[in-house]
Amino acid sequence: VRCQQYPPLRALQASAALRRASDEHKKEPLTSSSQQHFDSPPAGHQPEQEPQGPRPSYTGQGGQESEDYESEEQLQHRILTAALEFVPEHGWTAEAIAEGAKTLGLSVAAAGMFHSDGSELILHFVSECNTKLSELLKKEQKLVQLGEAEKKPIDEFLRDAVEARLRMLIPYIEKWPQALSVLLLPRNIPSSLNLLTSMIDDIWHYAGDQSTDFNWYTRRAVLTGIYNTTELVMMQDSSPGFEDTWRFLENRVADAMTMSNTASQVQSTGEAVVQGLMGAAVTVSN
Amino acid sequence: PGGGASLRLCSTRVAQEDINKPVIDRIIRVDHAGEFGANRIYAGQMAVLGRSSVGPIIQQMWNQEKDHLKKFNELMVAYRVRPTVLLPFWNVAGFVLGAGSALLGKKGAMACTVAVEESISEHYNNQIRTLIEEDPEKYKELLQVF
Repeated sequence: VRCQQYPPLRALQASAALRRASDEHKKEPLTSSSQQHFDSPPAGHQPEQEPQGPRPSYTGQGGQESEDYESEEQLQHRILTAALEFVPEHGWTAEAIAEGAKTLGLSVAAAGMFHSDGSELILHFVSECNTKLSELLKKEQKLVQLGEAEKKPIDEFLRDAVEARLRMLIPYIEKWPQALSVLLLPRNIPSSLNLLTSMIDDIWHYAGDQSTDFNWYTRRAVLTGIYNTTELVMMQDSSPGFEDTWRFLENRVADAMTMSNTASQVQSTGEAVVQGLMGAAVTVSN
Repeated sequence: PGGGASLRLCSTRVAQEDINKPVIDRIIRVDHAGEFGANRIYAGQMAVLGRSSVGPIIQQMWNQEKDHLKKFNELMVAYRVRPTVLLPFWNVAGFVLGAGSALLGKKGAMACTVAVEESISEHYNNQIRTLIEEDPEKYKELLQVF
């Protein structure tokens, strides 16, 4: 309804954005078809119109430019998101990106903006999954704060969070091993490591971790280990509904809890022993 | 520790979007390490001079430091800053420094304390300057801690 009040302005800016996006690959039918979309009141949202509304760009660029201007980063974001649909068929490749670009009405040459090994596509996917996980955890936290849900014990919380995150891989599971190997390329390691550590930190944060000592590191290291091994098990799991994977996950989390209990027991035993020795020393010196 | 944590989380979380995260991260991490080290120094001094006449004074100063450390622990959680990796090192080094200076006698212990406090306040002043230069309004809360 809002669009109807400013059609001429938006038509200008939309076609300008499109022309910028498919710069060297401008086709006559493309620009004229976008004009057509504006002459008839748009019932639903056409792909070209997505840049119109205020976009919550994850790069925070939306605030600096006017609402209708699409930056290159936002465009790349859109292309990669559209490309994900084609990954099960084409893998994490330039073909998938090209198909994605096509659905947005852009030229397949738009795939040339990206690396041929699909790095950006995979990193984009991981980043999107992590964002979805954060939102899920935040929602759950709100429910607990409002008293509408029970606070989960730590092992259950960790298990559920890791399972939720790994389930996002299921539609792409056939091609995921390929993605893992790309993520391990030296060029991609800084980004993939960054994404991994911030996801693990997020999970611990929502689990209620408030450690300010070396525990901060041990907890994250342990959870990273659990996540990575479970991911690998999932790649080779052919059980129905991945139940073998979830059982593996449950056992690893239980191990971690036992380890931390054992560690604190060892510590308190150690402290008791030291106190005993000090007492003995004082006695002997007197 | 995980028990009542989730309620505290929502009240101590700080809006992360408009602050200069890397700068704040470093400031809080370094200050936390400093307060932690200071605590260990006093622990070392108490271990040696605890039963001497200057013991109560050191204990009093140590209690103040414990308060500072608690404050930085809270800030660390609120701003989601990671603690320094070198904590175990500062743990030992601080204790050794405290015990070592205490073994030099009461004057030694006091001299160590004075030196540490002087360098800490110079360090904090620099940080205050950095924050004010950037944007006094944004960092009002943090500046009040200093």
